Amino acid sequence: MLDAAKWLQGSALGHFMRESGVWTYAIVNLAHILGVASLFGSVLVLDLRLVGLGRRIPLAALADATVPVAVTGFLIAAATGVGLLVTKATEYVGNPFLAIKFPAILLALINVLVISRSDAWQARGQRELSPREHRRLAVMGGLSLACWLTAIAAGRLIAYW
Amino acid sequence: MRTISRRRFGTLIAATFGVVALLSARSVSAHHGWGGYLDAEFEITGTVESSVSLAGPHASMTIKGTDGHVWNLVLAPPPRSQQAGLKDGMIPVGAKVTAHGHRHRDNDRYEVKTERLTWGDKVFNVYPDRS
Repeated sequence: MLDAAKWLQGSALGHFMRESGVWTYAIVNLAHILGVASLFGSVLVLDLRLVGLGRRIPLAALADATVPVAVTGFLIAAATGVGLLVTKATEYVGNPFLAIKFPAILLALINVLVISRSDAWQARGQRELSPREHRRLAVMGGLSLACWLTAIAAGRLIAYW
Repeated sequence: MRTISRRRFGTLIAATFGVVALLSARSVSAHHGWGGYLDAEFEITGTVESSVSLAGPHASMTIKGTDGHVWNLVLAPPPRSQQAGLKDGMIPVGAKVTAHGHRHRDNDRYEVKTERLTWGDKVFNVYPDRS
């Protein structure tokens, strides 16, 4: 683990993060937060709809509006997150919040995969969903919220260890 | 339908906030802010092990204290540390410095949130409003 962290820290990106000016970390940090905000803001709206709030809004329309924002937000957060991590990677070895954050993200992504492949999700906008399908989507929406909230909470707390 | 979803929504919110609360309860120490450090003023003198790094959320350096321990000196964020006159790698390894600030609450951690760093006749007030 420490070797991996040393390698990350010594990478070209690590050098760039440390040596390209005193504001670099702050700016990348800002982009990370904007990415997380876009991701979570859109996911929150979509997941609450999946859970059962605001059923008047067609799921297909809501998905069209939120999914691209969530994907873009995630990509920005992930890319900038790597930069933040490699700056002083060795300092994070043994930080328990990282050990919570990354599995939570992994679980959230697996959940995304499961939702997007489900019949209920693919049938959105094409036919009425059965009560069972509604329940399934609700469970996955709830799981999604729990995963992202855990990831964000643990992410924030990395700095407080 | 509506009442069921409301109830489910309530449970969900309670559960997620529970997770967050559980996580927060664990953390008392802090890199950011002063909460993770003792209130008492603290001072340690030593020789530089790794020089000033103006990178990451906070500038930092390590010294070998006169007590034999290697101390991690957490300075102000990089722009503020730079404003105080510090530059990347400016204090050579082996140089004698004194850090004044607050020690980490965890006794096993040799870490000082540094307000003022003294190197010879140079004084770097990285938190001038505090020291």
